[in-house]
Amino acid sequence: MIVAEHLTKRFADKTAVDDVSFTVQPGKVTGFLGPNGAGKSTTMRMIVGLDRPTSGRTTVAGQEYRALRAPITEVGVLLDAKAVHGGRSALNHLRAIAATHGIPRSRVDEVIELAGIGSVSRTRAGKFSLGMGQRLGLAAALLGDPHTLILDEPVNGLDPEGVRWVREFVRYAAGEGRTVLLSSHLMSEMAQTADHVVVLGRGKVLADAPLDDLVRAWTTTTVRVQSPRATELATLIAGPDVRVESPTPGVLQVEGATAASIGDTAADGGIPLHELATTTGSLEEAYLALTESAVEYKTKEFA
Amino acid sequence: MTALTDTPAVVPAVRARPPHRLTFAGQLRSEAVKFATVRSTWWSIGITVVLTIGIALLLAATVSGHMDRPIMVAVAPIQFTMLLAGILGAITVTGEYSTGMIRSTLTANPIRGSVLAAKAIVVGGLMFVIGFVTFLLGALVSMPILAAKDITLDWASGAGVWLPLLAASFALTMCTLLGVGLGFAIRSGAGTIAAVVGILFVLPVVTSMFPPEGSWSWVSKLGHYLPMTASQDLILPSDYSHLSAGVAFLTLCAWAAVALGAAWGSVRTRDA
Repeated sequence: MIVAEHLTKRFADKTAVDDVSFTVQPGKVTGFLGPNGAGKSTTMRMIVGLDRPTSGRTTVAGQEYRALRAPITEVGVLLDAKAVHGGRSALNHLRAIAATHGIPRSRVDEVIELAGIGSVSRTRAGKFSLGMGQRLGLAAALLGDPHTLILDEPVNGLDPEGVRWVREFVRYAAGEGRTVLLSSHLMSEMAQTADHVVVLGRGKVLADAPLDDLVRAWTTTTVRVQSPRATELATLIAGPDVRVESPTPGVLQVEGATAASIGDTAADGGIPLHELATTTGSLEEAYLALTESAVEYKTKEFA
Repeated sequence: MTALTDTPAVVPAVRARPPHRLTFAGQLRSEAVKFATVRSTWWSIGITVVLTIGIALLLAATVSGHMDRPIMVAVAPIQFTMLLAGILGAITVTGEYSTGMIRSTLTANPIRGSVLAAKAIVVGGLMFVIGFVTFLLGALVSMPILAAKDITLDWASGAGVWLPLLAASFALTMCTLLGVGLGFAIRSGAGTIAAVVGILFVLPVVTSMFPPEGSWSWVSKLGHYLPMTASQDLILPSDYSHLSAGVAFLTLCAWAAVALGAAWGSVRTRDA
């Protein structure tokens, strides 16, 4: 479990993280979303003790990161910036990290295989492609078989096979009861991976909710109806909370009514239906609506 | 029913496994692995060995007549190799900052003072051993040349041979630690190397330009406390020494201590 309490980080000229509080629960994949510069990476860096908060605190498994007796068996971290000496081979990089905790060579070989970098493990990391570097970063994060995974843009630069591997791996890890905090700009990927999302905007928490709730709250569900007697149907289903549009003749887009009620109404009126389909919003739509409103809110505040 | 059968095994991940713990011994091993697995280390050591032995041979070939302390030919090359030692110390640290490796290092071990201590012990300790072996080699290879001129090294003499060899290795180690400390304090490779070169090479030249007498004599006197001069006075104390061997020893310790103190202040307070 990761807890952030009133976390604030001010740099000389800006406040990167502003009174942020959230809890990342074990057994779930928590997505960490937000525009560039929203403070996601800074927050992650504070969780693992690289940056010191201006105020507030973070704990992992109830302790501050600096107080952990075996940090890499508790937390596996992959940061967005490279954290590897380019002159050292992948194998030696991992050996150096493993040595701090007395993790045996067999585990080093294991994570090399797990991350799929066996063929390049003796190549200097400076020659790695973005994707290979990312796999090495994942191997390092997994070295201590950690209870908690903090992954900043883990699929950045990965091939489709790698993207899928990361998704399945974090789902599996969460299924085992581990805590996973994951940031990504790929909304479709996040929608498939995360159970819960924390959205940051301008250093503040905009939303902290189960993914499904977030999507439901920030998007509209529409029902698409096709009928030869569409106009007639439109008048029948009309009501104060129902909005009906007809993009093309014979097709209706209905907001505020369920497919079931529209179908029932049509059946009562003896109106044939050729199509009746519910379209729910996507995480991307919800995210854009949410972050856009945050920006508008800010603008109004200063106006 | 479904609730029972469908309940996934969401339990805190508690697994039976060997207790891998962060230890200082582990941090020392990690630093040793890091030291040994980049090419720049071996380049620096290679150049140090070649320069030391090469200059020792050159000096052995050019000296003539009676020599009070012929071990001088083996330890005098430190005037050049101390710079390499300082730079090697610096790049073991700045290499981590410039590549981002420091983030891996500090997440694996968030106790920053222990990272600094382990780095200083490993890099300084290895440099002491490497320095001692190299100076010894320099003495051994120049023996035949000196012997041809009827100059002999008295290996039974502690003060004549072994003490200068140990003192030179010690001075080399202090220069390495100066580099390590400045590396953590400055972080930038170019900046740190400039500072190392400045302290070890440029300042001695500058202070030597000032007259030893008169109102500016304090500059010249301060120059006696630079690592370069202090090293000379420690390794081969003579009637011309500015500092006693004891003071020279403490002076070198102080340089390393101040640099490591600055490093400690920086590494504990600054974001990585």
